[in-house]
Amino acid sequence: MTVLASTNVSCTKDALPAAPVLAVEDVEKRYGSIHSLKGVSMEIARGEIVALLGLNGAGKTTLVSIIAGILRPDDGRVWVDGINVLASGSLARRRIGLAPQETGVYPTLHVEENLRFFGELSGLRRRSLTRRVDEVAETFALTEFMRRPARDLSGGERRRLHTAMTLMHRPPLLVMDEPTTGVDVESRARLLAIIRSLAEGGHGVCYSTHYLSEVEQLGASAAILNEGHLAAHGTLPKLMAEHGYYAVDLQFEGAPPRLESRVSTVRDSTLHVITDCRPATEVAAILAELGPAVERLKSLELVQPSLESVFNALTGQKSHPDRIPQGWAGGSHG
Amino acid sequence: MGSVAIAINDLRILRRDSIPILMLIVMPLIVMPFVKAAFHLTMLAEGVAGTNGAEQAVPGMQVMFGFYLASQVSFGFYREHAWATWDRLRASPASASAILLGKLIVPLFEAAIQFIVLFGLGGLLLQLHVRGPWVQLPMVACAFSLCLVALGLAVTAACRTVLQVNAIINISALLFACLGGALVPVTLLPHWAKVLSPVVPSYWAMKGFRRAILGERGGELIPILVLLAFASTFALIAVWRLRFDQRKTSFA
Repeated sequence: MTVLASTNVSCTKDALPAAPVLAVEDVEKRYGSIHSLKGVSMEIARGEIVALLGLNGAGKTTLVSIIAGILRPDDGRVWVDGINVLASGSLARRRIGLAPQETGVYPTLHVEENLRFFGELSGLRRRSLTRRVDEVAETFALTEFMRRPARDLSGGERRRLHTAMTLMHRPPLLVMDEPTTGVDVESRARLLAIIRSLAEGGHGVCYSTHYLSEVEQLGASAAILNEGHLAAHGTLPKLMAEHGYYAVDLQFEGAPPRLESRVSTVRDSTLHVITDCRPATEVAAILAELGPAVERLKSLELVQPSLESVFNALTGQKSHPDRIPQGWAGGSHG
Repeated sequence: MGSVAIAINDLRILRRDSIPILMLIVMPLIVMPFVKAAFHLTMLAEGVAGTNGAEQAVPGMQVMFGFYLASQVSFGFYREHAWATWDRLRASPASASAILLGKLIVPLFEAAIQFIVLFGLGGLLLQLHVRGPWVQLPMVACAFSLCLVALGLAVTAACRTVLQVNAIINISALLFACLGGALVPVTLLPHWAKVLSPVVPSYWAMKGFRRAILGERGGELIPILVLLAFASTFALIAVWRLRFDQRKTSFA
């Protein structure tokens, strides 16, 4: 067993000086000919939320599964709270709470029984188990549903139960794979608030999501995966300073014109033009390029660097703006 | 510790939906009184005197419908996949062996209930008399249950959909019941079937039960040992084939 710093286990010669709650080191994973993860390394400190971003197929779920110890990487190492996940899986999993992408609850069992089971799995018994079930249910506003079968919960309530089950054993690291997918606005806001408060309480959170707006709402750092590589990892100001770009949004009456000489994309009646320097200095040139279409111009907005622009730049969407999928606006979602 | 928690959870699930255990118990109970008289005649044809047919009907139906225990084992795993709780279990502190063991405890418990009810009611309602040492009956039942549980695990490992599991177990149940002498005593089977009989576990389960019930002397432990060998073989196949990270689905 290889053990790093931990409260109840001894250190060995492999010990690192100050262990983050999660350390991923050069992780590689292949599925046949598909190279899903290509030497990914990242860390999460206690109290930190790191949002794992990437297009579909970027490797987010693979990385989450490897961190959670349910998928073996082909190469590399993962340390959770100082414990090598590959060498001491069971011990490491005591320190991880995984909320997988798909809602996983026992539909025929009551909410209380679902929570109780995951407490029992981690060794909680009798009073300490009952106390923990009550605590977690209260945190996730599930107390009034305790005697209700999980199948009778609404989608949002079920998702809250799904997330609550990860916390029964007080893991220092929470790994959440798209936890707000398919959740209504109220439940989503509640979940995000809970996750923020868990981080404030010292939990490290690895949070995979498609919704860029949640990264800011969580006050999270971002780790952007692109085709198996970790393209960038850092705080939002840092990422925006390094990778963000400015743009101009031009709204037209009718269909917007195409600007062949510039990187741009059309959404409905809006032309989104990416600029390489501050857009104010380029507006005149853009307007001149519009030609007669300028007559149909309804409004013009200067767009500051945002996480969306960082994401687009790092995932190749800036140079191929037509590839920007629906729902990547970085704003609200269902 | 993890195994116990998983077994308790599976018991809770069984309590909420008890149909599977009813299948194991009610179906053979329905069939037994209908076949008892016919089995009386077949036993007379075998030259076994002083019987009433329950000596073949009770163990025969136990062996035939016992095969659904293998389904119960398999469904226990497929249910976790269908409810998307499998990855949660794997990500829990429970080790792989604890998960496996935990998932097998409730099916073994169901097997015990089936044995007690079928032989208990067989004695009360069908006048089943055990002439040999009765303790042999639970020993054979235990070895046969281990064999079926291991078979269920092997089928789980080999199949990817629940439809495949259903097909394999249903065909096996019928084929093994026929070849093993659960439906028709082995002595009355066609020659080619008699030759094949010893290769199925049902044959040894029936042999063990009948030895105890009819009080046949000598070699009492052989059927039990052969059933345990079958159980070990199925368990080895399961361990060889089982992939915890393989996706299982209800349908293809």
